[in-house]
Amino acid sequence: MTVFAALLPTDHFLIMTTYALLVSIFFAFLWRNEGRDRWVLFGKIFAALVVGGLAVAWLMYPFPA
Amino acid sequence: MSAAGAASGDARRTRWVAVVLAWLFPGLGHFYLSRRRSAVVYAVVVTVTFLLGLSFQGRLYTVEAGQPLSILATFAVAGTGLLNLAARVLSDNPGGAVLAVTYEYGCAYLLTAGLMNLLLMLDAWDIAVGRKP
Repeated sequence: MTVFAALLPTDHFLIMTTYALLVSIFFAFLWRNEGRDRWVLFGKIFAALVVGGLAVAWLMYPFPA
Repeated sequence: MSAAGAASGDARRTRWVAVVLAWLFPGLGHFYLSRRRSAVVYAVVVTVTFLLGLSFQGRLYTVEAGQPLSILATFAVAGTGLLNLAARVLSDNPGGAVLAVTYEYGCAYLLTAGLMNLLLMLDAWDIAVGRKP
């Protein structure tokens, strides 16, 4: 686990993108049965999560904690 | 018992077995229902999400007095079945590391893994009753 932990990203964008990737794959398989439909839904969810995350980050930029 | 009654009993047992297996380990319910490819994908995705959550030093929630939201969080994380139980037994720090940079991410990953598996339990039920093709 220690070796694995050393390989883990601490970069916020990379962690967010990995999360978006996992969630997108999950829902593409859960909600669609055909290959092409799955790819389309995967692309939509992945783009929405990443672009949405960046948009929220940009909006929050003037209000640091 | 009539043939129709026996078939109905088998169908009822099948749906409950699928749901229990789905809770025990991600994808196992779908594997039982002969959705082998989806089962493998679900197993990999949910397990990786859960392990990343642990590695990011997220928290395996427990119910706390005066913290009603901790009930929901505990329920969500418990959705991962044996992964959750094994992590609680084997982990050095099941409460997570609040000061770690990745703590919040870890919590989000752990909660998401649990919620994903709860959805898989419902999906296995829908497949078993014929509601989903």
